[in-house]
Amino acid sequence: MRCPTANQGNAELLLAHAARTLDAERAAVLEEHIARCPACREYYAAQVAVWAALDSWDAPPLSADFDRRLYSRIEAAPHWDFGRFLRPLFGLRALPVAAAACLVLAAAAWLERPGASTPARAPQSAAVQALPPDQAENTLQEMEMIQDFSSLVQADSTDPRM
Amino acid sequence: MPDRVHDNMAGAVAALDYDAELMLRVKDGDSASFAVLLQKHRSPVVHFLYRMVQNQAVAEELAQEVFLRVYRSRSSYEPAAKFTTWLFRIATHLALNAIRDGKHERSQSRLDDENSVVSAAQVTDGRPSAEQDLVHRARMDEIRRAIALLPDKQRAAVLMHKYHEMEYTQIAKALNCSESAVKSLLFRAYESLRARLAHMA
Repeated sequence: MRCPTANQGNAELLLAHAARTLDAERAAVLEEHIARCPACREYYAAQVAVWAALDSWDAPPLSADFDRRLYSRIEAAPHWDFGRFLRPLFGLRALPVAAAACLVLAAAAWLERPGASTPARAPQSAAVQALPPDQAENTLQEMEMIQDFSSLVQADSTDPRM
Repeated sequence: MPDRVHDNMAGAVAALDYDAELMLRVKDGDSASFAVLLQKHRSPVVHFLYRMVQNQAVAEELAQEVFLRVYRSRSSYEPAAKFTTWLFRIATHLALNAIRDGKHERSQSRLDDENSVVSAAQVTDGRPSAEQDLVHRARMDEIRRAIALLPDKQRAAVLMHKYHEMEYTQIAKALNCSESAVKSLLFRAYESLRARLAHMA
């Protein structure tokens, strides 16, 4: 076998062997190598020493009232779980279309508000020729974007970084 | 169809992971299952956090926050990974934030002072074990400092690997990095630890 200390990938074998997680077959091959390789012997002995040192470091016992304090906090701070109410909405297939429709209506209301300046109209023939493909493409893009967002929200709901 | 695939996947993970199954019951409103999860995982989580921040009071405070978050996010829980991976991801995230904010430092210095006071009292006590006790404490201090000197992510990786026997894939998910990055973190961390602790053999 190639000397495990030669690269990081192989050194993982020595780490695993010190942690006693290597399978018997590979452990036997490695033991054989360690017996005749001073560099690996030194590496392995040092890693075993580290392992033993870390084993001797105990964490203090838990406070007796840990659970009581936790349940007090749970009861004291009722959490409004908006996700529970909103999540079903994101599962609705019609929601992206409804959201796109709302955006279009809001934009129309804004443009048609009293006092809004009327943009110069393009010749009707040009508008008829140019708008339908663009509108269709834009609407499809918006729907796709909202669907992506919906699936991201679902994925993020399991993310602990709240 | 995708929903069915997702449900099948969740079911498969839950079948492999009893904790995930318990968490799904918590999601359905079964608070007894939360108590079971708490009883099973509170010590490992507190011990992990203690070794991360090296202060028991702060570790317990952070562990409370971990379980509070688990409970609060029960309704959105999906068993996409092992429950312990998810749990340690929350714990690591909170620990790294606490370290970044320096929450543990004030208490840590107080803890060190307390330790030296106790040691000094025992030395003057004249009991035969006082010297051994002092040696033991010095040894523990050395180990604690060797761990504390590791960069935060290396420290978290080593603690999950050594004390919680987590696999590279689990550690990678908990640290939100690739498996090869975890191998690299562990390789460098153990290299530092060998340089600082190998003489203890």
